[in-house]
Amino acid sequence: MFIEYTWLIPVIPLIFFVIIGLTGNKTPKEGGLIAVIGALASFVLSVLVVYEFLTGPAYNGGVGYATDAVTWFSIPGGFTLTLGYYVDGLTCVMLMFSSLISLLIFIYSIGYMHDQGKRSRRYFAEVSLFLAGMLGLIISNNYLMTFVFWEIMGLCSYLLIGFWSFRHPEGDAASDNAASAAKKAFIVTRLGDVSFMGGLFVLLYAFQSLDYVNLFDPAAIAAVDTNLIVLATLLLFGGAIGKSAQFPLQDWLPDAMAGPTTVSALIHAATMVKAGVYLVARSYPLFVQSADVMLLVGLIGGITAILAASMALNNMNIKKVLAYSTISQLGYMIMALGAGGYMMAIGMKEGNAALIAAGAAGYTAGVFHMFNHAFFKALLFLGSGSVIHSCGTEDMREMGGLGKKMKWTSITMLIGSLSIAGFPFFSGFWSKDLVLESVMKASEYGPEGYIFMIIWILGVVTAFMTAFYMFRMWYMTFAGPEGHATEHSHGESPSTMTVPLMLLSIFAFGSGFLILFGLDGIITISPDSITGAFIVGMHEGHGAVHYIEELFTNPYTYLTIVLALLGIYIAYLMYSKFSVNPGKFNKEGESRLYKALEKRWWFPQLYNWISWKFGYGIAKGVDYFDRNVIDGTVNGLSGSVVGSGESAKYVQTGNVGNYASIVMIGVAAVFVVALVLIYYMGGM
Amino acid sequence: MVDIDISWIPDTFGSVTPVLPMVLVIIGALLMPGIHLLLKNKNVTCAASLAFVVVAAVFNILLLLGHYTGTYYDLFTYDAFSGLMILLFQAVAFIAILIAGPSSETTRMHVGAFFSLMLIATAGMSFVATASDLLLIFVGVEMVSIPSYAMVAMKKKDPRASEAAVKYIIIGGLSSGLTIYGISMLFGLTGTTNIADIAAALATQGYTAGLVIALATMIAGYGFKIAAAPFHMWAPDVYEGAATPVSLFLATGSKKMGLIVYIKVFFVMFVTIQAAQPFMTESIQYVFAILAAITMTVGNILAIVQGNVKRMLAYSSIAQAGYMLMALAILSDWALTGAIYYMFAHVFMKGGAFVVVAALITVGVGETLKDYRGLAKRAPLLSAIMLLCVFSLAGIPPLAGFTAKFFLFSSAIVPGLGDPISSQWIWLAFVAILNSAISLYYYAKIVKAMYIEKGESEEKIKVPAAFTVAAVLCVLGVIALGIFPEPFLYYCSQAAAAVMP
Repeated sequence: MFIEYTWLIPVIPLIFFVIIGLTGNKTPKEGGLIAVIGALASFVLSVLVVYEFLTGPAYNGGVGYATDAVTWFSIPGGFTLTLGYYVDGLTCVMLMFSSLISLLIFIYSIGYMHDQGKRSRRYFAEVSLFLAGMLGLIISNNYLMTFVFWEIMGLCSYLLIGFWSFRHPEGDAASDNAASAAKKAFIVTRLGDVSFMGGLFVLLYAFQSLDYVNLFDPAAIAAVDTNLIVLATLLLFGGAIGKSAQFPLQDWLPDAMAGPTTVSALIHAATMVKAGVYLVARSYPLFVQSADVMLLVGLIGGITAILAASMALNNMNIKKVLAYSTISQLGYMIMALGAGGYMMAIGMKEGNAALIAAGAAGYTAGVFHMFNHAFFKALLFLGSGSVIHSCGTEDMREMGGLGKKMKWTSITMLIGSLSIAGFPFFSGFWSKDLVLESVMKASEYGPEGYIFMIIWILGVVTAFMTAFYMFRMWYMTFAGPEGHATEHSHGESPSTMTVPLMLLSIFAFGSGFLILFGLDGIITISPDSITGAFIVGMHEGHGAVHYIEELFTNPYTYLTIVLALLGIYIAYLMYSKFSVNPGKFNKEGESRLYKALEKRWWFPQLYNWISWKFGYGIAKGVDYFDRNVIDGTVNGLSGSVVGSGESAKYVQTGNVGNYASIVMIGVAAVFVVALVLIYYMGGM
Repeated sequence: MVDIDISWIPDTFGSVTPVLPMVLVIIGALLMPGIHLLLKNKNVTCAASLAFVVVAAVFNILLLLGHYTGTYYDLFTYDAFSGLMILLFQAVAFIAILIAGPSSETTRMHVGAFFSLMLIATAGMSFVATASDLLLIFVGVEMVSIPSYAMVAMKKKDPRASEAAVKYIIIGGLSSGLTIYGISMLFGLTGTTNIADIAAALATQGYTAGLVIALATMIAGYGFKIAAAPFHMWAPDVYEGAATPVSLFLATGSKKMGLIVYIKVFFVMFVTIQAAQPFMTESIQYVFAILAAITMTVGNILAIVQGNVKRMLAYSSIAQAGYMLMALAILSDWALTGAIYYMFAHVFMKGGAFVVVAALITVGVGETLKDYRGLAKRAPLLSAIMLLCVFSLAGIPPLAGFTAKFFLFSSAIVPGLGDPISSQWIWLAFVAILNSAISLYYYAKIVKAMYIEKGESEEKIKVPAAFTVAAVLCVLGVIALGIFPEPFLYYCSQAAAAVMP
């Protein structure tokens, strides 16, 4: 009875977006309260839908998904595009964490934005639309609708990242920064979007439909040329690379930190960047048609994970460290999906059921890590927001010793840091070790399996780096002597901010245990042994015993635990006990590696070089031709002497003569081209 | 979809019914100078012109909803296609006249003449949409061109306008010459100027050098109206130099007229020939594909470096024409449906953008990107409208531009649909997709200036109500065509079916 109203889940925040936009200033908290009510309504409806679906007939013995749609438009004699919902296990998990975390972030925002006055209205309107975009993306039943919401989210992120460009709390330089960051985020993710759109058209060409139900049908997949599917999945993955900030388009995400911290939390934890991972997970039935594509996916994930982690090692900005950690963790998710898909692809080709099951475990690990990451990353960002709110700076060198002044913030942040570092029994531990285990397993199969061995090594090193930089951040902020900013801090943040932190820290600690109680049965995918149809969820969980046995009899688990503890210990020695001087390792910031990290491995320069030298340069060149050779400017020169007769002569001989000759050349060109084509193609 | 009884219209107007929308507008055009002479009030004259357009539009919509078809002495044919196109020109005229009244750029001396010219041009465009004879089309086009030259020149105190007008006249004259030359060649080859007869004659003849010359000159002659590269150079100068309502009129109206000529002449001709000799048209389809690809690329690349918003929009219009030209290469009824849909989407999104530009010039803000800084705080509604319009132009869903692009691009990709097309136009679709990616760069520059950058002034801007009304109407069109394409798509496919021989 609730599932029929699934479409309302994104529509509610959409309506509240309009309400806030129109009446925001007259409502309590400048629209904040309304936004929270909207998010709450979406969350409640999501819970009801998820509950009904998981207990309903479709999930228990049925087809495994619930879908319904109305016709959006149909193309005469061709295909029909629909608007509708598609609920399965993946949708359920995504809905739960997106709506819950967004709700908590909205509550937190009321406290965080209280000094922004009337401008809060724009903020709350935009985040409501943002949430609508994410929820719409999750429940979409076809790729076109997914793309529509995908773009709505991109647009909102653009506006939100640029939110402080008018008057940044930190002054003009930060404002300009926000402006260019917003544009960069928009343009760079847009590169991915173009790729997504290309994939969409390839799918349309191949399948004559974009509905998930039709596309994931094994008979339809079998009827289509595999090369087309490979092309389509590569293009879709391009979209995911842009949205989820994977190598080589990872660079927009750290810059996106210029927006309010709550926006960062929203983008990093609950929405936006998860959309790319979701797209890969959603399109799994198509992706697993080729082991090579999955190998590439895994490799991109591995490179991203270590590259981003390395850049977090020496960053002094609390939010940027978290941003890099997000990219790095997204790398883990993509890595796991790649490894799982690789095994599943080989398993399906060989008809090896055990290998398919191992592949499904990789999928589970990737989605599970996304689920856990949502909680601990939201916690960490909101915690950092609390710190920034209190001391008014993002530079960790000016902090230190905040632990005493901000007890709740420091404790909750500690839980988040332990979780992301993979400290045993915290949520990040479970999923990260499952990810690494899948990657390790994938290395045993296929001729290119050794590449997954390399990816595994990257993953393990990343785990060590993660523990180190997270605790470097925690110690620099909360431990040690009081910094300059700490002395001026306002102390602990208001309860609208600390209560969401506490709630999130419960999840950040405990969400990992869900895997022991059957969550894995919901977030798994497997081709049906008889029909070959892909089914998400509908499995019994493996149970606590299985996972505990699997993880704790695996020697590599102990390796990662030891590395994580080592990372934490080194951070402690360097930044809390000060017994080891970090400057010793980088020649006081002069070493080449340190410089490279500071320059983000020169990626921003590379982007600039490409866009300026290449893109803008071409445009400039063409424009130069247009202005100087053809002389196409309206300079008004002739007009100033209009009527003298002299000017008419000038116009005629100067500019317009060139125009006319170009027209004649054009006519000749059309003639010649037509003749040549006719000559080669026949018809003469 | 809707069925209403309109038999009273032919009963009342008799044989004039097929040209009724034009006749009403022409009556208006004849009365305007008199009205202005008597009342000496720009706003009243503007309102009177609007009234004539609205009355004509009401009749046209009734005829359209009643699925009326009729012929006026074998000269003009009113059918689903021409009716829809007349509606497009009426919409353009409505928006242009609405903002021409309060605009500070339009002339204050020859008010009656100005509105009269605009109505005549509207009637001329409508005649082109109904004509089925090359000579009638030529006359119709001239009926638009000559008033346009005058309207471009009629701008207050701006030397750029007279320069633009001179350029426009010279290149326009050249193009007319080329066109009539092409028509005479075709007449010489086939002995008729009726398009259907020409097509039938050509289907048996095959290519000759004379035919290729005729095609090349006509493509160039009407390509001038569309501003297809390489016949586009006048467009940025003229759009920048003219008063913005006139730029709007040219960019959204006159350009569509050129496309309609392309559709009426080339589309019909080639589909007929294709039916007789399936492979003969392929080479000429490639000519259009190349033309489309070059046009969109040149427009988008040149738009990137523009600092003047009006000029940027001019280049963006060139690029948009490139997308619509794709239909000529694909030659299927679905492509034509998509192109017609795109034409309407373009009227609303480009129209909305030009309305905002006109409003800002009128209140003295200026027309460069620099002037747009911080506009979101000064004029929130106008900024929001501009944002939606330019993002629609860039093809961001769920706005009209995206939906229209989706229709058009999918027609290049999806095989079948009753036409023997295969994967040969996929490259064209990808060129178009890449182009829409490039285009976002300069559209984002406008949005960035308005929303992200700080302006020097924070003073609120108040614009005359007419601008707000026009802009809101446009943006409603952008949203409605984006989200609910189905009803309108029906009329577009009806129109396409009417053109298909």
